[in-house]
Amino acid sequence: MPRLKQKHYQQRLLSAMAIYIAVLVLIWPLVRTTTSTPLKWLIALAPLPPMLYVIALMARRIRDSDELEQRTHLIGLGVATGVVGVLSLVGGFLASAQVLTLDGSILIWVFPLMLACYGVTRWAVARQYGDDLGCDPSDSMALHWRLIIGAGMFAFVALFAFLKHDDFLTGMMAGMAGSFAVLALAKGVIYWRKHHLARLESHDGR
Amino acid sequence: MNNSVRELRSEQGWSQADLAEQLDVSRQTVNAIETGKYDPSLPLAFKIAKLFGHPIESIFVPGEG
Repeated sequence: MPRLKQKHYQQRLLSAMAIYIAVLVLIWPLVRTTTSTPLKWLIALAPLPPMLYVIALMARRIRDSDELEQRTHLIGLGVATGVVGVLSLVGGFLASAQVLTLDGSILIWVFPLMLACYGVTRWAVARQYGDDLGCDPSDSMALHWRLIIGAGMFAFVALFAFLKHDDFLTGMMAGMAGSFAVLALAKGVIYWRKHHLARLESHDGR
Repeated sequence: MNNSVRELRSEQGWSQADLAEQLDVSRQTVNAIETGKYDPSLPLAFKIAKLFGHPIESIFVPGEG
């Protein structure tokens, strides 16, 4: 099987995340009003398939990686496992001692936290081996486009929260969407300037 | 470890992407090897030596960086 290109990986990942958010916002809330137990199970687990797809994508990406990429994946996954493990232990001990009240829904945050730790660590490790590692515009989706898609996802949730009259969620999601949009704009301008200057230099060189 | 991968690649007129494709690694890995930020494994070093037709010890030499 050929290596999955970074751009294709990012496109598939973002599509899965968009489906995940849509399911979480549009389908998952129905679990509270459903009376049938099998249907409750089905709706409660509806966000799982896109997440399983993301895990399969990651597994394929790591399997097809070269030796340096595998090293960065290993360190990223190691740090993520360590951080989530320690936080779970701390939470578990505090909850058992009844110092802190935690309900089961906190488990939802385990996987996103793990992915965030993995992503940040991998990015930091990759930078040590070269500034452009994993950020090569020729084989990955430009950052400003990824930020625009992220802003769109947050805006979608904000709109849904607004229609549901949830002021707190509307404010939070609209703020996130705005922040992502501003970042996308800044990155887009930097990207455009860089390419514009490169074009001018190549034109002068002729 | 010091290496002469960049010089050998330039002699062949290959881009980093061309070399990466022939070695079945990412372009970023080629860049990390050339800049001395990453020392390749023995199998990859042999693959590089075979590709350029030079003995491994003439491409990779012990040293700082």
